[in-house]
Amino acid sequence: MDFSFTAGEEAFRAELRAFLDEALPLWWRGIFSGDERAIPLTRDICASLADRGWLTMAWPEEHGGSDAGVWKQTVLREEMWAHEEPRGPQYMNLNYIGPLIMRFGTASQQQRFLPPMAHGEVIWCQGFSEPDAGSDLASLRTRALREEGRFLVSGQKIWTSYADAPADWCLLLARTDPGAPKHRGISVLLVDMRSPGIVVRPIPTMAGPHELNEVFFDDVAVPLDCLLGNQDGGWEVVVTGLTFERAGIARYARAGRIIEMLVQWARQSGRAAEPLVRHGLAELRVRYEAARLLNYRALSLQAAGQVPTVEASIARIHNGQLEQLVSQVGLELLGPTAQLGAGDPLAPLDGAVRRHWERNIPTTVAAGTLEIQKNLVALHGLGLPRPT
Amino acid sequence: MDLLLSGEQQMLVDTARSFVERSCPTGRVREIDRDPLGFDERLWRSMASLGWTGLTIPEPYGGGGRGVLEMTLLCEVLGRGPVPSPIIASAMLAALPIAAAGNADQRDRWLPLLASGEAIGTLALLELGGRDEWDAPRLAGGPVLRGTKMLVPWAGAASLLAVATDDGLLVVDARRGSVRAERHVDLGADPLFRLELTGACAERLDGSGEAHDSVIRRALDCAATVQLAYAVGSAERALELTLEHARHRQQFGRPVGSFQAVAHRCVDMRSDIDACRYLAYRAAWALDQDGSPDLEVAAAKAYGNEALRRIFVHAHQVHGAIGFSTEHDLHLFTRQAKQAELSYGSTTTELDRVAVAMGLG
Repeated sequence: MDFSFTAGEEAFRAELRAFLDEALPLWWRGIFSGDERAIPLTRDICASLADRGWLTMAWPEEHGGSDAGVWKQTVLREEMWAHEEPRGPQYMNLNYIGPLIMRFGTASQQQRFLPPMAHGEVIWCQGFSEPDAGSDLASLRTRALREEGRFLVSGQKIWTSYADAPADWCLLLARTDPGAPKHRGISVLLVDMRSPGIVVRPIPTMAGPHELNEVFFDDVAVPLDCLLGNQDGGWEVVVTGLTFERAGIARYARAGRIIEMLVQWARQSGRAAEPLVRHGLAELRVRYEAARLLNYRALSLQAAGQVPTVEASIARIHNGQLEQLVSQVGLELLGPTAQLGAGDPLAPLDGAVRRHWERNIPTTVAAGTLEIQKNLVALHGLGLPRPT
Repeated sequence: MDLLLSGEQQMLVDTARSFVERSCPTGRVREIDRDPLGFDERLWRSMASLGWTGLTIPEPYGGGGRGVLEMTLLCEVLGRGPVPSPIIASAMLAALPIAAAGNADQRDRWLPLLASGEAIGTLALLELGGRDEWDAPRLAGGPVLRGTKMLVPWAGAASLLAVATDDGLLVVDARRGSVRAERHVDLGADPLFRLELTGACAERLDGSGEAHDSVIRRALDCAATVQLAYAVGSAERALELTLEHARHRQQFGRPVGSFQAVAHRCVDMRSDIDACRYLAYRAAWALDQDGSPDLEVAAAKAYGNEALRRIFVHAHQVHGAIGFSTEHDLHLFTRQAKQAELSYGSTTTELDRVAVAMGLG
């Protein structure tokens, strides 16, 4: 058992920070800030990361990676997340869409789709949720009818992140067999977002524009060689993808960065001696340490070759609640001006904590609600009977 | 970075688990709890024969030379009994200060006895009217000690008493008389004693008063961490009992664990136990490294105190009335966890330590 990073991993972290300090302009506040320069910047950042071999580090060498270890990859994810994810929409490619294609794709699909991801040249979105299929994702209705050597896709997806970036491709879940039990009639299709019949409608959210969208499919033709995995075998692909995703997001790292910012604020504003300030920030730090360790636990199991679905869910539960707690405590400590947003000269920390609050309203809902995560742990981790 | 146990650590844990299952089922725990001193000589001897009483004592004195991390792993398993023994007091509160501050002759005389389990040690720290473990002791130091200490763990069974005075740490051999230990009305977990010293001969450990202060702080940090791990083991057993109940207790035609409200409480227990466990492991690991373990120890204790409280509230809630009956085993673990929560650091003082370690001054 060892709780330290190696000297090499620490040096890499320092190198990354130096790179990001230089590459990120002062106006960078994440891609949902409504700043039109943001998404183009993320393309530049991904290209620079690719040049340095840092974009797909943990991927196998044969697919454009350097087989870097789980921990070096963790350091990278932490620094990216702490800086509001300057890889932008492409982080999904690296975290799980690429790995899914490696696991379930044909050689020809891998040759076609992985290199652009490795070069930082492509944006993917995922078409999962529908207006009537959220937590009950398996009840999805978007239809993929197989006929005349292609699939014809019709239906609607919602809460689709990055579709209007614009995304180049979509990892789409569709029903290929309406007659089968719901989990067994789903397929995963790789859809060109420039295909005729696709309409993207952005959904404005409390976090700002350019995050979530509706995507409408009207008889969209998808070639047969864009089926990922087996027809009707999509559910296994989904579950694998969700586990990769849960383990791959270092959410606690942004919370950690905000905590550091609040400590600096407390010292500079002469309030570091106040008991409520000290205890509020200490409590946050303690929760952060707990979440970080549980993420590392899941990663340790992954490094040992396991697929830790229960442990990843437990880490996710801690992450989401940490993020919301950081907002709550931070806003309270910062006082009345905490409600001011970036751009207002009186906004403390340039509105970072208000922004963090807005961004994290859906944290316990997205990618598996807190309640679904708990049901998963109850069923698969504790052996409790199916909940009613 | 690797949060999995090494092969050697796993072996220690596996051996300890068989021991607890075979030699200390809850029936035995209840028997031992009825003893006025809470102590069982036979159980202690079997722990000594497994090398556990000397696990962290340096090898030249007949100990195992292992670190706080191994002690933590062992005690986590012992908490599953919950095995009643003075192992934490003896190893962390007595042997550790003697190894750190004793002169060569003192170490040669006392450490082998503590390692073999022939002597049992403890630390007499808290004084009447004191606020917590970090108050400066006012008991007058000297070759003969007169005064009172309170809340001394395992003093009834202990032969070697490390006593904190205004002149640093002194060691008293309780067998030589002028020492009276009277058991408090404690929680029924680790027995706590009021200690009357009526002219007890005492030997001072080497080093300045300040040096002894940091020795005591380190001993308390180690005890806090290891005690937290013990409580995590108790919490894990409490979760097992809770799940058993949730699976088998039927109401409204179904197991109560099939109701989401009940299931989610169990998940919250699992989530808190796991967080506590890894925070405790990391604190123990940090105590075995060079450098200050302040942040790691204080974070584990601050989180642990609150988490233990939550865990047992959930356990009792899911059990319903049956968990309240002392004929059921849950209370054995509840008491253990409550004592751990209330010993060696309150949430408030530990959070303040975290604040200092974070740079808030």
